[in-house]
Amino acid sequence: MNRQPRLLLSVLLLGAVAFAGWRWWSGAQERAGNGNETELVISEVNPRGGTLTTSLRSEPRSFNRLVMQAVPTELFSILTQGKLVRVNRSTQEVEPSLAEKWSVSADNLTYTLTLRDGVTWSDGTPFTSADALFSFQAVYDPKAASVLTSGLLINGVPLKVSAPDARTVVVKYPAPFGPGIRLLDNLNIAPKHKLQAALAAGKFAAAWAAGTPIADLVSIGPFMLTRYESGQRLVFDRNPRYWKKDAAGQPLPYLDQVIFEVVPDQNAELVRLQSGQLDMLQQQVRPEDIATLRPLVNQKKLQLLELGVGADADVFFFNLRPAKWAKDPRGAWLQRKEFRQAISHAVDREAFANTVFLGAGVPIWGPVTPGNKNWFSPNVTRYPFSLERARALLTGLGLANRDADEWLEDEKGTEARFSVLTYRGNSSLERSVAVLRDDLKPLGIAVDVSAIEQGALVDRMLGGDFDAIFFVYSASSLDPAMSLDFWLSSGSAHIWNIAQKTPATEWEREIDQLMLKQAATIDEAERKRIFDQVQQIFAANLPALYFVAPRLYMGVSTRVGDVTPSIMRPQLLWDAEHITVRQPAPSKPASQ
Amino acid sequence: MGRYLLRRLGFALLLVFVVSSSALLLTQLAPGDITSDIALGVDAETRERMRVELGLDRPIAVQYWSWLSGVARLDFGRSLLYSRPVTTLLSERALNTAVLATAAILLATLIGLPLGVYSGSRARGLGPAIVRAISVAGLSVPPLVGSLFLVFIAARTGWLPVGGMTSASGVDMAWGAWLADIGSHMPIPVMALALPLAASLERLQSQAIAGANREPFVAASRARGLTQRESIVRHAWPASLRPVLGLYGVMIGSLFSGSFVVEVVTSWPGLGRLMYDALRARDLYLVAGCAASGAVFLALGTLVADVLLAIADPRVRAEGRS
Repeated sequence: MNRQPRLLLSVLLLGAVAFAGWRWWSGAQERAGNGNETELVISEVNPRGGTLTTSLRSEPRSFNRLVMQAVPTELFSILTQGKLVRVNRSTQEVEPSLAEKWSVSADNLTYTLTLRDGVTWSDGTPFTSADALFSFQAVYDPKAASVLTSGLLINGVPLKVSAPDARTVVVKYPAPFGPGIRLLDNLNIAPKHKLQAALAAGKFAAAWAAGTPIADLVSIGPFMLTRYESGQRLVFDRNPRYWKKDAAGQPLPYLDQVIFEVVPDQNAELVRLQSGQLDMLQQQVRPEDIATLRPLVNQKKLQLLELGVGADADVFFFNLRPAKWAKDPRGAWLQRKEFRQAISHAVDREAFANTVFLGAGVPIWGPVTPGNKNWFSPNVTRYPFSLERARALLTGLGLANRDADEWLEDEKGTEARFSVLTYRGNSSLERSVAVLRDDLKPLGIAVDVSAIEQGALVDRMLGGDFDAIFFVYSASSLDPAMSLDFWLSSGSAHIWNIAQKTPATEWEREIDQLMLKQAATIDEAERKRIFDQVQQIFAANLPALYFVAPRLYMGVSTRVGDVTPSIMRPQLLWDAEHITVRQPAPSKPASQ
Repeated sequence: MGRYLLRRLGFALLLVFVVSSSALLLTQLAPGDITSDIALGVDAETRERMRVELGLDRPIAVQYWSWLSGVARLDFGRSLLYSRPVTTLLSERALNTAVLATAAILLATLIGLPLGVYSGSRARGLGPAIVRAISVAGLSVPPLVGSLFLVFIAARTGWLPVGGMTSASGVDMAWGAWLADIGSHMPIPVMALALPLAASLERLQSQAIAGANREPFVAASRARGLTQRESIVRHAWPASLRPVLGLYGVMIGSLFSGSFVVEVVTSWPGLGRLMYDALRARDLYLVAGCAASGAVFLALGTLVADVLLAIADPRVRAEGRS
């Protein structure tokens, strides 16, 4: 190459670099300027109007909440459907909803609900008690395969429902139930006039599938789905027939529109929040992303809402099905509670919180976290970090280092080793398992980690094909009587030994009895006392180990107001009807 | 030529059959199914009823036979995930992917081939060294990192939309504005796809042209008085195209069947994302349909590459005649 082209190339390259740098800098200045300008032209909080843009990781498989339990379907349901009563996710109090009032019989078995007058579906069809009856019918129809069924049974028995007139629904419980009317928060009301034919034809499970024409998806909630661009977004407009008004008599919701952009990748989702293309995320901010968002918080472009300690924590548990260990010599010590207690002593929870949650977590000792203020018991047995106590417990189990390697062995020479399954792609779980493996190594316990797909993990768990699992289990309600599937030995979410015909251990039998009693007790103080006992038995036997509960943070644009966060999902949109957004003043549109 | 095309068609059909059948059977054999996600929230009976409803309780052979008889009628079944016909979903998403793939191939070609010719025809010098270094860097960066970097740049500068294919207001736009809107969403995914390909093309073209330049017929052309540029354009470059066009077959196949990573990161609603969603949800029929479409595009890509090679390289035409 001779000198002239080389010089030309160099000049061109330098020019390109300089131009890019200048555009970058001027862009930043312009954006900073725009930020101020936006501040100037923005009106005071506008109680009505505007669009909120948020994101979804995946698209809805179905719009029928009665047969689908997934985040997109749940969000669709919250925006467009209704309940007779609802639990305020922030205060945990029961509020009237489609039923404006109710009364309860002296024996606490019969609830008589009076429905609101003049409520209509978005297509103008009146809402009546027939819709409520139909919804119960669909939930209890075996052919419908509803995912809500187990949440609407008491001691395995369905509720008896009748409708004396168009505005009255009478619900009879088969037995006294502590949560009372709160149980009805589990029921989403389905439109009889749209779904009756599908139920009659035995096709309810396929009704309101993802390909359903939007006109058929009638709403009784604050919003209605008006556009679904597959793979891109769902657009919800205000339901003009929504029944609810604010204290000043203004119709709700305040927003004109809610848009869910489908963003499958969590990192891309975060970048879109940073760039202002999203107003909020549906998932909590990961601990490692908090530092990334801080500058935007300092620039007042973003709010980082701290919701407090989460109600759900990652859980580590062994397979406690006796059949699993019948022919495996490790069962002699792996099934013993002393082994689990040793592990609990071996994990430094403070260090765990710092490593896994970068400090944004609190140590816990059981499945009920301090985030669940009504039911948390601080007085359960704790296992402070102590390798000496852990070693003593392991020695008591006959585990000692009997050869030249670094691992313990039992009397028969079987190495103290087990495998742990966890979800692939969940960064906090993957870090948690790594910390656990590192914490157990000094004790001489070997941990083999396998990160696998969620579906595969759940299948192996249900089939009992695992040594141990580290994953996250989300309770559907903060009230323990509404999570009996977890607590009862016969429950489908009794993760360490699912759906036992009879309790495998004495302490499980004891928990069964206490939980059934707790669920049937009406007096709240007595319910709390019984549940404290249950938590203590759980902590003493440690069928599942809990180390740290995360603090929850949600990233929300500063243009969004009147958000009432909750630690229950969906943390922000559960009260979408009251959310407002600041908008550019009509006379001077902002440049953004 | 007719026999050649028939042979190619037969090969393509076999490829589609083998690939889609394998995808279906492997997805079926993998642990879990589409009901696994909700298995913890429902009792065993409810889950079993769902499996019956979806036909997943039938033996693998029965499911496969039922699917195969549908395929014979060009019916790839119904997506378990979206409850819509697989062919409808594929055709919607294939169009989106085709827009992206076409733009990416054009951009990769416009960048990669000229730079390859440039660097390959000069053994030394700062310019070729810079081109080589950039290409090696482009080849070394994993697609995920490259995509995220471009998305980050777009977010940082605000010059381009960070993701998606259209704006939320897109459906209300006039045709011209709508096309411009799509165009403004394209640069990030197109660059994410095209830059590594451009780097591959550059490296391949560079080596091929360097080899062709050493051929006696190129030296002879120079001896006949052609300038270096004329000699490259008329003789060395056509002769160097055989390996380059071979790469095009794979490029067309892989790009038109959709890129998992780029489409997921940039939220582009194409076939790659559809396959990703289908695999995650264990949607047997959608996985098989996506695999079949990938195989079709691979076969088509190879065919297009062969035809282009026959057009570009006289030796191939001569081989064909003999």
